[in-house]
Amino acid sequence: MATCTYGKTLLKIEDVSLEYDGRPILKHVSAEIRDIIRPDCVQGQVVGFLGPSGIGKTQLFRIIAGLNKPTSGRVTVNGQDLPVQAGQVGVVAQDYPLFEHRTVMSNLLLAAGQKEKDAKVAHDKVVQYLNDFALLDKARLYPVQLSGGQRQRCAIIQQILCSDHFLLMDEPFSGLDLLMLEKTTELIQKVANRDELNTIIVVTHDITAAAAVADHLWLMGRDQDATGNPLPGSHIVETYDLVERDLCWHPGIITHPRFLDFVREVKERFRSL
Amino acid sequence: MSEAINVLSPNRVISKQTLRWLVGFQLLLLFFIWVFSPTVFLPKPSEVFQALREMWMAGLGGELITSFYLNLQAIAISTVLSLLLAYLTVIPFFRPFVMLLSKLRFLSMVGLTFFFTLMATTGHELKLYLLVFSVSVFFVTGMAEVVAAIPKESFDLARTLRMGEWRVVYEVVVLGQADKAFEMLRQNAAMGWMMLTMVEGISRSEGGVGAMLLNQNKHFHLSAVFAIQLTILLLGLGQDYAIGLLRKVFCPYASLTLERK
Repeated sequence: MATCTYGKTLLKIEDVSLEYDGRPILKHVSAEIRDIIRPDCVQGQVVGFLGPSGIGKTQLFRIIAGLNKPTSGRVTVNGQDLPVQAGQVGVVAQDYPLFEHRTVMSNLLLAAGQKEKDAKVAHDKVVQYLNDFALLDKARLYPVQLSGGQRQRCAIIQQILCSDHFLLMDEPFSGLDLLMLEKTTELIQKVANRDELNTIIVVTHDITAAAAVADHLWLMGRDQDATGNPLPGSHIVETYDLVERDLCWHPGIITHPRFLDFVREVKERFRSL
Repeated sequence: MSEAINVLSPNRVISKQTLRWLVGFQLLLLFFIWVFSPTVFLPKPSEVFQALREMWMAGLGGELITSFYLNLQAIAISTVLSLLLAYLTVIPFFRPFVMLLSKLRFLSMVGLTFFFTLMATTGHELKLYLLVFSVSVFFVTGMAEVVAAIPKESFDLARTLRMGEWRVVYEVVVLGQADKAFEMLRQNAAMGWMMLTMVEGISRSEGGVGAMLLNQNKHFHLSAVFAIQLTILLLGLGQDYAIGLLRKVFCPYASLTLERK
């Protein structure tokens, strides 16, 4: 089993509830992400956030990003006492939005400039990211001129440059072929492991891909009444610790029987929601 | 052969050279119809060019400058006003006002003349007010629709980049829709020329091509009418091209994904 310890709490969801017109959408959602410390390596955090369609994942996603306010409860980051504000948590939406009227370089400089006031430092940082993510030769292109993969990388860099080490990714595996799926998984790991505090929450339907990339999984669902009918208001019904199960950070883990058993276990729980 | 099939098939992309051939062919066809048309109400090209020379000698150039200056002034004021009002729709307080303004496009210009006459001190001012009003009610309607159609994701993107709400407006609404604003400007500037003749007919104190056109029309000088229309058309095409060029320079991204560039 990989040795690691847990440091400070990086992101905390405290008793978050959300109602629309008196109808509960989220009910007492609580979870936290702590810094994973591994000796002799920089280890970021990746959480896979799973749940059936229409369960309220997007609503919680928006609350974590600071884009929506919950009816009660709060989300805090980096141990701060104030609720999360938009911009502290980066968001990479499913279609990788970028400002279409700006070039790749301009998009990234804009993001970097929001956090780094020294223009030279911001520029150097952008160039370094472009270089690391093989986008330097695309710097002068407009977003519509990029391929899907290039656009995805650009959107991730833009958000990382501006946020406080947090990144929410909405369905990053959706519609990808096997090769692209592997590349995206590698990319998420690469981004997470650039900084000890980097924390990525991946919202997805793809249980296998989520388990392959994450160190923890959150499963969102609804409670059921005695007759098996779902009760209104979702919450995190299950949390899986893949570190404890020794199912993360191993290359090629997805072909291991233990991993396949685990995915089966999660799928069965998923079906029962 | 395949290019010939493409020309007559839906959603086909043709080469620039083929397009040039098509334009040339259709212009020639139009000219041919014009020359050989049996109707007596359509003056022959030679008559129109003769009339054009006479009109030019009679001061068409000067009238054109008067009209062009009036139209340019009206377009500039309408653009500033309309864009400002459309951008202000991001604030709920201004939405009903802009909505109401947009409904005024159904009003007739003639019915408004008296009201604007009371406001104006000179003929030029009256024409300017009428033109600004007529163009703005359409411009603001179109542009407000553009602003309303911006997807939520664009605003969210700006917010996740730590932008305050005014900065969000500048980035997403002003800069992000600049290409559409240019397109709106192009359409409404053309409409300005269409309304110009009407406005110059209402107040003839300064002259202008509109007044000249109405005079010729009144006396049934069809060759002169065609000559003036042709001049306005050429000037309008130049204006259209110039605005299109500005759009291309300032918003080069706008045409990158189009099938027909």
